[in-house]
Amino acid sequence: MAGTATVPAGDPRPVIGVRGLTKRFAGTPAVDDVDLEVRGGELVVLLGLSGSGKSTLLRCLNGLHRPSSGEVDVLGCRVDLAREGRLRRLRTRIGFVFQQFNLVGRLSCMENVLIGALGRVRGPRYGVLSYPKSMRREALEHLDRVGLADRAFQRADTLSGGQQQRVAIARTLMHRPALLLADEPVASLDPENAAVVMELLFQVCLEERLTVVCSLHQVDLALGWAHRLVGLREGRKVLDQPAAGMSRHDVMRVYERVAQPQPEQPTPPRAQSEAVA
Amino acid sequence: MTRTRTGNAGGDSRVGSGPMDDPVLRPPLTRPVVTLWGVGLAAVALTVIAVISIDFGLGALVDGFDDVVSLAERMLPPRMPDPPRIASLAVETLLIALLGTVIATVLSAPLAFLAARNTTPHRAVHAAARGLITFCRAVPDLVFAVLFVRAMGIGVLPGVLALALHSVGMLGKLFADAIEQSDPGPREAVRATGAGPVRELVNGVLPQVVPAWIGTFVYRIDINLRTSVVLGFVGAGGIGFALQDALRGLVYPRALGIVLVIVVIIAALELASIAIRRLLLNPESSGPKRPSAGPGPRLSPPWTVQRLSTTIAAAAVALATGYALVSLRINPLDVLWSFGDVVEVAGRLLPPDFGMVGDRLGAAIVETLAIGMVATAIGVLLSVPIGLLAARNVAPHPAVYWAARSVVLVVRAIPELILAVVFVAAIGLGPIAGACALGLGSIGLLGKLVADAAEEVDPGPRAAVRSVGGGWWQELFSAVLPQTVPSVVGSSLYLLDVNIRTSTVLGIVGAGGVGFLLFEAVRTLNFEFAGAIIAIIFVIVYLIERLSGWIRAQVM
Ligand SMILES: Nc1ncnc2c1ncn2[C@@H]1O[C@H](COP(=O)(O)OP(=O)(O)OP(=O)(O)O)[C@@H](O)[C@H]1O
Ligand SMILES: [Mg+2]
Repeated sequence: MAGTATVPAGDPRPVIGVRGLTKRFAGTPAVDDVDLEVRGGELVVLLGLSGSGKSTLLRCLNGLHRPSSGEVDVLGCRVDLAREGRLRRLRTRIGFVFQQFNLVGRLSCMENVLIGALGRVRGPRYGVLSYPKSMRREALEHLDRVGLADRAFQRADTLSGGQQQRVAIARTLMHRPALLLADEPVASLDPENAAVVMELLFQVCLEERLTVVCSLHQVDLALGWAHRLVGLREGRKVLDQPAAGMSRHDVMRVYERVAQPQPEQPTPPRAQSEAVA
Repeated sequence: MTRTRTGNAGGDSRVGSGPMDDPVLRPPLTRPVVTLWGVGLAAVALTVIAVISIDFGLGALVDGFDDVVSLAERMLPPRMPDPPRIASLAVETLLIALLGTVIATVLSAPLAFLAARNTTPHRAVHAAARGLITFCRAVPDLVFAVLFVRAMGIGVLPGVLALALHSVGMLGKLFADAIEQSDPGPREAVRATGAGPVRELVNGVLPQVVPAWIGTFVYRIDINLRTSVVLGFVGAGGIGFALQDALRGLVYPRALGIVLVIVVIIAALELASIAIRRLLLNPESSGPKRPSAGPGPRLSPPWTVQRLSTTIAAAAVALATGYALVSLRINPLDVLWSFGDVVEVAGRLLPPDFGMVGDRLGAAIVETLAIGMVATAIGVLLSVPIGLLAARNVAPHPAVYWAARSVVLVVRAIPELILAVVFVAAIGLGPIAGACALGLGSIGLLGKLVADAAEEVDPGPRAAVRSVGGGWWQELFSAVLPQTVPSVVGSSLYLLDVNIRTSTVLGIVGAGGVGFLLFEAVRTLNFEFAGAIIAIIFVIVYLIERLSGWIRAQVM
């Protein structure tokens, strides 16, 4: 099962082409001059410390953030140049899994999954019954696939974190994406649930032959499933290499800090007590 | 730090040494304490000035009490000569309140999205929408009603529109606040599916705010019902018309009969609204969940108690709204066209003619403020004891609790303007009648808030007081009152807000304040002068709201 770790042979066309991408927030670069190419069917895992720019890079790929400079070409669309309407059409083909699930807690699981279909229906929708029966059937199939068909009409906020993220995955399947972006999909789950959810997600993606870019903190999961690993450090790309043959030690280099600031000297206890009095 | 020093020579040497050698026996003057005392003193001083300015003496109160008693004697026994007519007017009143609230909701929903900081298309739109909402809130409903009756003639429609416009002031604000508190995550998830901005709001934001909106809607119907019973005073439909008729003709037993009908209806609706809120807003009361056991997969949501009650309530509101349009003979198109009339009236108010702002207007405004101050002082003096007794955990005996709760509920059910009518009939025209009416009416609002606050106090400190041998009084003063002070201060400021707003319309029934000049101006078609008065009322209400918001922020 896991650990194929070879780049798929078919479909060599690039799905994502990023050249010199820089994104600044108030002048400070969060992503700094990054090049990235992802081909159809590839499963790429982004690694890096907190704040290294993983989320920012992913959000630049579907236009939730506008790049400050550089080219971003996704599924044949120039994200950096596209207008809002064009971006919206592009997003109907890109699934996004969020770290915080971003479900509407009050609504049933079924309705949350149906929200994934909004990009391919016309007109306003509100409530499960406003979607056609065929879509409801499809939603139920996706819920079944993530093992939650019996919870279809339970409120989403009554589920555990792991179950909620599975609903969010079903929502993304409902979306029928050509490309899937996942931003630390298991960061708020306990280790056991994290492994279960992650394996489910990767399994489904391989079955659907989806192109995937996923940021992750679990090095072992990444080594087991990814075709290619990309490491970011302070917004710059410091690793880009097929996962096959890489060791855990090789990967850990991504996490080494460049210049670690000296920890501050603790105030001596006596001085502290004087300051308080 | 320097404020804690007592000023003796040892002040400097204390720095760095332990606190034991110079015990500070007076509490330090922190900023909230200073503010609280400053506000308290200012409130007392202003109240004294207000009492003097409207000649509100204890003698007047005592005489007034005798007059009220003698009026009550003339009112008894209540009579109801024409039950079918009263019943149809009562139904009409209910429908006006419902329709006004529904129209206000329809107007407020889009306005709230424009006014919420996180959904507005532009900062300027946000400011304009918030400004419009504040304006609607600051102009009393009866002022709108008077203007619309002038523009469209006597009837139900002006009353409905007046309620609707004024309600936008509250619904728009609370709707927008709910949107601003919503979680941005689901919106982003909707945007990531490629849906456009409208569906981002409909599917990402709306489901999150619906419960808060429903709660606000139900609460507002309650308030509007109270106002709709007095709309008739200015010719805008409903049971108030019959009441005014009875009072004009000095047929007091009939007036009392009508007042009793009003009280019963409002109290019944109060209970109904408590039940509805409980039913709609408490999910997961439907027992354990079972996976659907039917043949084949279930593609529509199951009929839980929750879903059933929500659906029935929604259908009931829709049906009642339809029935209201038919039975009040309001063509929905007329509602649309009438906005032309509204704009026309607004146009006639412009430009406001401040040239006529003379001594009379100045005096009337001072009188309005004084009525509000005195009424709030009376309200606080009456409500704190009654409210404490109406708290289940404070009342010395269940009978006391039920008696106090009933007083609060009954007073809440009587609109202030009706109390004002009664006081005017008893002690004559003028600001004292207004101040008494508003002060008494305050029990309904403040008494309830005090009781709720007292019921929420932490029982720990009370147990502590009891364990050192303290009795009921000590428990009250050492454990209960200190915990309720912040919320009582906050509620009293809110009461001042409400009372000053109401005192601007007391003039309709001759109970003093600026309302009299305003209605005179409208009656004599002197619209520019009316515009000036409305502008001044708006500024006063707005300033009071800001001031009380500031004080609450300091004290809390
Ligand atoms: N909307 C924003 N406004 C301002 N600064 C931002 C914004 N989003 C991200 N940043 C900054 O950009 C940098 C990279 O953030 P990013 O969220 O991409 O990191 P990350 O690798 O996803 O970290 P984590 O593992 O914690 O999710 C951080 O320094 C962050 O503070
Ligand atoms: Mg991140």
